[in-house]
Amino acid sequence: MKTLKIILTLLPFVWSIGMIPFANKVHPIVLGLPFLAFWFVAGIFLAFLCLQAIYFIDSKHRQNS
Amino acid sequence: MSNETVSLLIIFLFIIGATIVGLIPGLNKKMNLEEWAVGGRNFGRWLNWFILAGEIYTAFAFLGASGWAYSRGGPTFYILGYGALAYVVGYYLLPTISPIGRKHGLMTQPDLIEHLYDSKILSLLTAIIGVAFLLPYLQLQLTGLGLIIEACSYGQLTRVPAMLIAFILVASFVYLSGLKGVASTAVLKDILLMIAVVFFGLYLPIHYFGSLGGMFEALETAKPGFLALPGGTKNFDVSWVMSTLVVTSLGFYMWPHFTTNSFSARNPDVLRHNAVYLPLYQICLLFPMLVGFAALLLLETPLKTPDMAFMTIVQKLFPGWTLGLVGGAGALACMIPAADLLLSTSMLFTRNIYSKTIGKRVDPNSLINVARIAVLGLTTIALCLAIFLPNMLVNLLLTGYSGVTQFFPMIVLGLYWKKSTKLGAYAGLIIGEVLVFTLILGKMDPLPLAGMNLNAGFVALLTNLIVFVLISLFTYTPVKAKKEVSL
Repeated sequence: MKTLKIILTLLPFVWSIGMIPFANKVHPIVLGLPFLAFWFVAGIFLAFLCLQAIYFIDSKHRQNS
Repeated sequence: MSNETVSLLIIFLFIIGATIVGLIPGLNKKMNLEEWAVGGRNFGRWLNWFILAGEIYTAFAFLGASGWAYSRGGPTFYILGYGALAYVVGYYLLPTISPIGRKHGLMTQPDLIEHLYDSKILSLLTAIIGVAFLLPYLQLQLTGLGLIIEACSYGQLTRVPAMLIAFILVASFVYLSGLKGVASTAVLKDILLMIAVVFFGLYLPIHYFGSLGGMFEALETAKPGFLALPGGTKNFDVSWVMSTLVVTSLGFYMWPHFTTNSFSARNPDVLRHNAVYLPLYQICLLFPMLVGFAALLLLETPLKTPDMAFMTIVQKLFPGWTLGLVGGAGALACMIPAADLLLSTSMLFTRNIYSKTIGKRVDPNSLINVARIAVLGLTTIALCLAIFLPNMLVNLLLTGYSGVTQFFPMIVLGLYWKKSTKLGAYAGLIIGEVLVFTLILGKMDPLPLAGMNLNAGFVALLTNLIVFVLISLFTYTPVKAKKEVSL
């Protein structure tokens, strides 16, 4: 569980910071946005999902203990 | 009535209205800072959503993000990146800080430092640095308000008189309404500004270019590569955005006023739960950028002040009353955060600097007067900075971030790493801040290093962290550890 939490915590940083060299382009335009802007917007949703999952794990853990 | 009379009239109605609304809660009973901050948590889910989303819409997001999109292009997108990451940091950090604050009656960030390291001088140093880097943030709000007044007068009022008016408005708003005004007026401003930003952000691209994609294709044809990195700049490239995202995401909760907010949370779970949904609000920051890009294609003559992009496009394409409404909402977006910042800064000064040094024997009841004078003094300094050292809004925020991020090793390692020592904190903090000052004042931000262009705050943070860890390891004694475990 702890490993999973670490992965979920680091994933948004890898996506929004680590992957920038590969996302730095205008095309393809996705959802009307230049690719770099789309990448960051997708990163926002990813951070939301990861935090949601971590919160779920944490509250389950609290219930058990 | 002419256009400028209508738009200026609307703005002043807004400001006077907000001041009156802000005064009403204060008439019935006296509120203190804690009551105000916790009071916000009694709002229903929707009101809460607007308040949280609206906190994002300051002069920075509204004028600064559109101004950078207009002049810099691709590098602006960093603004979409850091907020979501900051909340991941906050998810772990805030629930740790909050119970310590409750247990030991802490109210400000220097209070926390004093508690962690048992050092009054380190706490004083933190307070002074905090005040110093809140000033550019304050300057940002004043400059923004000046720009709005200038645009709404259709250029009749130039920058300096416009900023003088802004200064008088902000200072009297804080004097009259205090923090009481913030919560009740924030809702009004947030709803109006959100409508304005989403409307113009979608209307301009769709009306003139058919769709968002249509606008970006047209921009890519007109200026190839402008929408990627480094866009319209020479050195704001991939390495700059990466290092800036590290600085801003780690620095977000190092702003002194956010620490105060986390102390007043009801319980750690509220903070955790909030952190989960906060990233989604960052989407709101996209819309001002869309306006900036539309302005770049639609305005024929290039703007001398890119931060005017949003106001200028509304001024050129819409009637005076529309400009007045946007300006009115925008003016509140500058004044309300400015009031919040001013009061936190003045509290930092009064509680952690004045009453710990020259005012040691002053009667606590008269401190409120010191805080009031501090408000005037700080606004004057910010006004002088805005007149004599003008800078783009985003640059001002980045300067502040570089400075406050240097608290990160001291606070985070101080909380989680048992071997942190006072000397390590001193050394890391001082070296970090000296580097920030030298690099920014020496115009070496971003710093070219090994083929990369690194954010000055990032270089300083890395050095700070290494020094902190090394000195802590050298000076750590297990005896002292026992005392610190009892947090």
